[in-house]
Amino acid sequence: MSGQEQDPLAFEIVKPGRSAPDAQGRRRVHPWTPFIEGVRWWPGGIVAGVTLAAQLDVKLGSGAILVGLAGLVAVTLLGMAWAYLGWQRRTFWFDDDGDLRVDSGVLSRNERRLQLSRLQSVDVLQPLVARVAGLAEVRVEVAGAGDSKINLQYLTLREATDLRNEIIARSAGVRHDVAEAPENVLVRVPPGDLVVSLLLRAETWLLLAVSVLLLVTTVATNGVAGIGFLVVGGIPVFQVFTQFSRYYDFTVAESPDGLRLRHGLLQKTRQTVPPGRVQAVGFVQPFLWRKRGWVRVRLNVAGTSASTQGNGNESFTENVLLPVAPWPVALAVVARVLPGVDLQAIPTIPAPERSRRRAWIQWRQLAVGWDDQVFITRGGRITERWDVVPHARTQSVRVTQGIWQRSLGLASVHVDSTPGAVKIVGLHRDAADARRLAQEQADRAAEARAGDRSLRWVAQQHLAGSSPAAAASASPSADPGESILSSAHIEIPDLGSMPSPVEPHPGEAPES
Amino acid sequence: MADQTPTLEDAFAPPGASWIRVSPKLATAYRISLAFIALLVLAGLVALTFIPDYPDVISLIAGAVLVVVVCWVWWLIGRRTRSWGYAEREDDLLVTSGIMFRRLVIVPYGRMQLVDVQAGPIHRWLGITTVQLHTAAATTDASIPGLTPAVAADLRDRLARRGEQRSAGL
Repeated sequence: MSGQEQDPLAFEIVKPGRSAPDAQGRRRVHPWTPFIEGVRWWPGGIVAGVTLAAQLDVKLGSGAILVGLAGLVAVTLLGMAWAYLGWQRRTFWFDDDGDLRVDSGVLSRNERRLQLSRLQSVDVLQPLVARVAGLAEVRVEVAGAGDSKINLQYLTLREATDLRNEIIARSAGVRHDVAEAPENVLVRVPPGDLVVSLLLRAETWLLLAVSVLLLVTTVATNGVAGIGFLVVGGIPVFQVFTQFSRYYDFTVAESPDGLRLRHGLLQKTRQTVPPGRVQAVGFVQPFLWRKRGWVRVRLNVAGTSASTQGNGNESFTENVLLPVAPWPVALAVVARVLPGVDLQAIPTIPAPERSRRRAWIQWRQLAVGWDDQVFITRGGRITERWDVVPHARTQSVRVTQGIWQRSLGLASVHVDSTPGAVKIVGLHRDAADARRLAQEQADRAAEARAGDRSLRWVAQQHLAGSSPAAAASASPSADPGESILSSAHIEIPDLGSMPSPVEPHPGEAPES
Repeated sequence: MADQTPTLEDAFAPPGASWIRVSPKLATAYRISLAFIALLVLAGLVALTFIPDYPDVISLIAGAVLVVVVCWVWWLIGRRTRSWGYAEREDDLLVTSGIMFRRLVIVPYGRMQLVDVQAGPIHRWLGITTVQLHTAAATTDASIPGLTPAVAADLRDRLARRGEQRSAGL
């Protein structure tokens, strides 16, 4: 399976194929790139312009339209000219060490080299305009402080996929001229479930309420309050549509080069997360999803927000592994990301009862647990959370204690992961326990690091004589009956009463 | 390794005999900053009294509050400075600090990405520097202020060496 299904929006304006390398073996992105760059801002720009004109009460005569059109053409041409210069100066190639190099920049030159042995993720993105033209963008991220990513836009979709395969193969330490690795679709989220799951989030209703409030005040004040829309960037409830559009047709597939995530209604995204690159996994269950046994799965992947390092500013993008799925499906997919880990079998220790005086809503849910591979925390009463970090990915461990916690003899244990949506905090432990837990976690992390071999993973698997798929299926599965009976374990809702709207691949039926 | 860990009654007790404390000059540095801010506020309060029809009693009350607050913060700075401490273990560095919000961070040498040594103008004048450790996690926040330059340079080199020996992939 190549994973390239027919796209109804692609008109194949651009013929598929590779751009020919020049004399030094360097390649350029597609010659249509300047054109796409020039028109890319049209949808947003026109909406903003019309809104602004309406706010400023511009008389809609032929003069205003002419000025608007002339401005549009001028800005577009200027943008294209600039993008053409950029296109001319931008070349990429693989150097003698097998690393990806990109030279770019019109006024100041920028030569960047990505060490592919430190690869974190490769995404192939297709924004709407590029998608119509049959083009795609490749985004490569490696581990490192500061800005450590490359955006190559645009290539033909075929070329982009080939490039992605080549990057992953080089990073994995195998021959890079072989065909794309075969894949195995694990989960496909039906659009109906996605809609229902979005409707069942309190966030959606809050956004709707704010939108209605804004609309009403705008009408009541004859449009003066309409400036509020500009402040919040459009009608707030549209964010829900953005979410739907982003996670539409979410597909998780497994292949030897990692998990492949495909999703998007207007902009298509194909992400590849190589094995061992997942820094942390978090399960989130909003209150209204509980009855259906649904859960959302998020990831921390290093490099995605490295630019925010140092300051507390958190503008990371949420990495979603599954926007919505029943528990067993989510657990089965996470088992692929964390091979050999059985989350249900990990015993957890609840927070002491006196923590109720500090966290009176969620104290019953607070718990931590660990096995020889991962550390897990649990919290939240209304929206429940389970956060998992592998020992080998632990960055540092902290113990914190506020005034109130101190008077109760409590302290919190934080296991620091790379920046991302998943935060691992064991809240309100007994203070002495917290310290012991932190030190033991540091020791477990040191031990796990010593045995970690996630660099050049495929080559190492060949040495070890097993494929990742085999490793995943060979993972020990615990007796599920025990984990449901024991209250100290993560509770999995009864599956018999629940419809299973997410169909896993026939060969990959989740354990029930 | 876990059995090396002593039984800890206090969550912020040192791992070995005691924490290595930082220089008391750090308190001086903070107090100089405090004095600057207090003087600025005081100047503002005095300037207000020159406005006609301004009841001077407001400035008097605010001044009294200012004196109380400055005294309290002055005392707090002393305690907070004494609360800073660090300890080097075989595989990781421990840093602790805080009076009201206490914290302790354990940073494995193998996880350090870079070590900064920095000093602002007041700190330089007093002859103290800050050593800051960075890992791939933005939340690590392991800085040790108030070290003499020689100690800081030694610590930096030692940390960098150990980091290199134990460096692990992300």
